[in-house]
Amino acid sequence: MVLNSEPVVETRDLSIGYLDEYDRVWWVVIGVNLRINEGETYCIVGESGCGKSTLGNALIGILPPYAETRGIIRIMGEEIVRDDKHCYWKSRGRIVSYIPQNPGKALHPFMTIHVQFKHLYRARGLRLDDRGVAEKASRILELVGLDPDEVLDSYPHELSGGMQQRAAIAMAVSTGAKIIVADEPTSSLDANLRLQILKLLRKIKEELGITLIMITHDLVQASKNCERIGVMYAGRIVEEAPVKEIFRNPQHPYTQLLLETVPVLGVVKELKTIPGEPPRPGEYPPGCPFHPRCPFRIDKCSREEPVLRKINGKHYVSCWLR
Amino acid sequence: MPVSLNYVVKRTVWALLVIIGVIVFSYIFLYLAPGDPAYIWAGRPRGVNATIAIMNARRELGLDKPLPVQILLFIKNVFTGNMGVSIEYKQPVSVIIWRGLTATLELLIIAYLIGVSLGVLLGIYSALKRNTRLDHGLQVLAITLANAPSFWLAIGLIVALAYLTGFTGYGRVDTRLAIATGFRPITGFYLLDSLIEGNIPVFIDVLLRILPPAIIVATYPLGLGIRMARALIAETLGEEYVKAAIAWGVKRRTVIWRYAFKGTIPSLTQVLGLAFAYSLVDAMIVEIVFGREGLGSLAYHIIGKSDFPLVIGLMITVTAFYIIVNTLADILQAMIDPRVRL
Amino acid sequence: MTIEKSRMQKRIRGIKELFSRAWKRRPVFRAGVVIALTLLFMAILGPFIAPYPSEGWGIPPATSRGAQPPSPEHPFGTDAAGRDILSRILIGAGMALFQIAVVVSVSLAIGLLVGSVAAYYGGVMEKILNYFTETFMAFPAIIVALALNSLFGRGLMVVLLSLIITWWSWYARIAYVNARSTREMEYVLLAELSGLPRYRILFRHILPNISTPVIVQAITDTGSVLLEAASINFLGLGLPTDYPDWGVLVQNGFNYIYSYPWISLIPGAFILVAALGLSMLGDSLREEMDPRLRRRWRLWF
Ligand SMILES: Nc1ncnc2c1ncn2[C@@H]1O[C@H](COP(=O)(O)OP(=O)(O)OP(=O)(O)O)[C@@H](O)[C@H]1O
Ligand SMILES: [Mg+2]
Repeated sequence: MVLNSEPVVETRDLSIGYLDEYDRVWWVVIGVNLRINEGETYCIVGESGCGKSTLGNALIGILPPYAETRGIIRIMGEEIVRDDKHCYWKSRGRIVSYIPQNPGKALHPFMTIHVQFKHLYRARGLRLDDRGVAEKASRILELVGLDPDEVLDSYPHELSGGMQQRAAIAMAVSTGAKIIVADEPTSSLDANLRLQILKLLRKIKEELGITLIMITHDLVQASKNCERIGVMYAGRIVEEAPVKEIFRNPQHPYTQLLLETVPVLGVVKELKTIPGEPPRPGEYPPGCPFHPRCPFRIDKCSREEPVLRKINGKHYVSCWLR
Repeated sequence: MPVSLNYVVKRTVWALLVIIGVIVFSYIFLYLAPGDPAYIWAGRPRGVNATIAIMNARRELGLDKPLPVQILLFIKNVFTGNMGVSIEYKQPVSVIIWRGLTATLELLIIAYLIGVSLGVLLGIYSALKRNTRLDHGLQVLAITLANAPSFWLAIGLIVALAYLTGFTGYGRVDTRLAIATGFRPITGFYLLDSLIEGNIPVFIDVLLRILPPAIIVATYPLGLGIRMARALIAETLGEEYVKAAIAWGVKRRTVIWRYAFKGTIPSLTQVLGLAFAYSLVDAMIVEIVFGREGLGSLAYHIIGKSDFPLVIGLMITVTAFYIIVNTLADILQAMIDPRVRL
Repeated sequence: MTIEKSRMQKRIRGIKELFSRAWKRRPVFRAGVVIALTLLFMAILGPFIAPYPSEGWGIPPATSRGAQPPSPEHPFGTDAAGRDILSRILIGAGMALFQIAVVVSVSLAIGLLVGSVAAYYGGVMEKILNYFTETFMAFPAIIVALALNSLFGRGLMVVLLSLIITWWSWYARIAYVNARSTREMEYVLLAELSGLPRYRILFRHILPNISTPVIVQAITDTGSVLLEAASINFLGLGLPTDYPDWGVLVQNGFNYIYSYPWISLIPGAFILVAALGLSMLGDSLREEMDPRLRRRWRLWF
């Protein structure tokens, strides 16, 4: 694996908001700076509603038109978004691909898998006949551990949840994109399938040299696959570090609390929940967004917002206490 | 995809039950009316033959038997196509109605071919241009069309055509032309018949005469098509599968037609099927205004004439048509959607 | 009792809120309100502001002027018997509203009752009532009017009865669908456990809860009822020839469409605008109720 000094995905002060019926903007992602290197697996972790999917959608280029963006997104060195100028859609799907959260809904219910592959190949400009599509799709389906003869002529509802997700992964890969955003790829599956799919993602990533951006609310999953984790809270990345570092030496109080909610095999301990609720967009408190729920808050926290600072190596955190 | 007989059978049996309900209701209607049912059924006769006519009606309806038996007899008669003899036309009701039904159906089908195709196209266009001035304009047009009284539109069109082109000849076909070219109806659908016989002059004549009323009948499916297609497309465009297709780089046109539009087809089938059944009455009214033969003119000529067998026949026919079309639309809708295990 | 009251208030606030939100945001709704209010205004004041009231009620003038095209004295012209069409239209507005009001309110009452009873009692009752509902949904009003006409001759009763016979089933269906989802709700179960008689639960808990969607549907339907009533009257199945009803007015001009087209066309335009206004009212309310339809966006890909 060649480690480029240039990141393949980079965002600068990226903020995203949604317009409501009265044309007010509700910011849900605020000032995010990401630098993701080629071949890396980066994981975005956070509670529900903190803006993970919004960030992911921005990277894929499928934000709805009533979304408002500020800042820059640069992918493979090419600037695709700069202050609400979406100029990316021409190559959408060829550079960044997408693994959906709920494959049952993401595959078209009225088309067989074969037909859906055909449309994907057409989109890449490949003019293949039915046999050509079947051959090409079979190779990818086998890669994701599906039996092409069984799957190709089925409708999505005839497949089980795990098979649907494998088919969706196959489609995501078949676009030829080298960067894949997976938005909670396992949250609609049961525990056993979850592990299988995670394993599959790892395998694909290694075989095809893919840069994977995983979105999840589950720290355990994040630890299984990823190299670096960004912890998101109220639209901001509040801590970012390699996996081991996060688990061994969490710096942000939110990360620490989050870790205490994770069950660890073989260790009997009291599982905690984080008191209070995450703020909703538009109700972000002034200063540090976490301070109303933070057990260690100081006066400064409610007045000034901390910025993401490097504490060592690849470990960044935004907290006044560090 | 296997169409399980189970669903089809269930749906059909239910439709049959409802049709039987309609027939029973029609009979009870006659029974509850003030006066002797036989007297009404015989067309309120006067004079020397009155007694005989009433006695005939009594026998035909089985009025000497208990009510349940009468009803069963009536149902049996209807299902065997024996709905009595029209007092006004002096012909079996089933024969007259069949003749009228083909004429009205021809009008209705042409109207729906125009209205649905145009309406759905405009509706999709409207959804794609959502919240633009064009979209708003189309929506206003659609709601106006869906609410315009068809008899008034028909009068307006007749007046306009008369002033602009001087054309006032309506009806299904120019009788002189038909006789001159030896046109003979086979199926009762004149467009089809003239094509089968290769009679192009009559075909053109029939087409020219059917177009104005068809345009009026088409206004309802046109308005409905615009509104429904727009709403349904807007819904499927928000579906996860459309989002995924976009993210995987599928082309805009493919996303719209192969993903979003395809997702709306079952619902569209059902809604437009319902509208088709509903529009039969609309077509009848338009026929009356244009002076075309058909179920409408049949009904119009017997208003105030107490031709009760024909009235009941019409009621059962129109209602049964509604039920049958609806059932077919439901079955069709289920067949299109592969998720529905029939 | 207090819980009862607070829920009632909440429901009413629901409808009021719906109206005020729709008024603020939807030009279509505002247009509908303006048209509906104009109609109401015409219906109430029509007999007083009509320039020739007796002609409006259908009595031909002493010296017949014959059919005249629109002129300053007769802005909409006169019909074949010389009656002022404007006066007839003004007085006809009341007739239109009257028919709509009777038909919608009676069928609404029947439909609500049948639908909610079917949903709440379940079992055989549900099956039978649904069967009736479905059967009556198949009848078109105009055909029923034809049958009633051949039994009783022309009259107001024919219009009202035929429309009620055919409309109630649609409300029954909507009420049934909505009531079925309320049946499983917690407070209904609680009320059942507390031993309240079933019919009281029905009236106190189920009916109030399903009325908002059904009422919005009823508002939407007023336009269609007007159209169907006008068709029945136009065909000569309902109100008699001299009645000041818009459908009848169009019928009056039907024999003269080539020579005096305004006799038919002008009253018909009023039917169109009134029906349009009423359904715009209902449609925009329905869209306002359904959050999925509320989002504003454009196609972006
Ligand atoms: N299409 C949209 N239009 C308007 N608001 C939206 C839209 N999508 C998301 N939001 C709002 O933005 C906020 C962030 O949503 P987002 O989906 O990014 O959160 P998330 O972290 O992915 O949550 P989850 O774990 O539930 O998926 C939420 O408050 C949500 O209500
Ligand atoms: Mg999400």
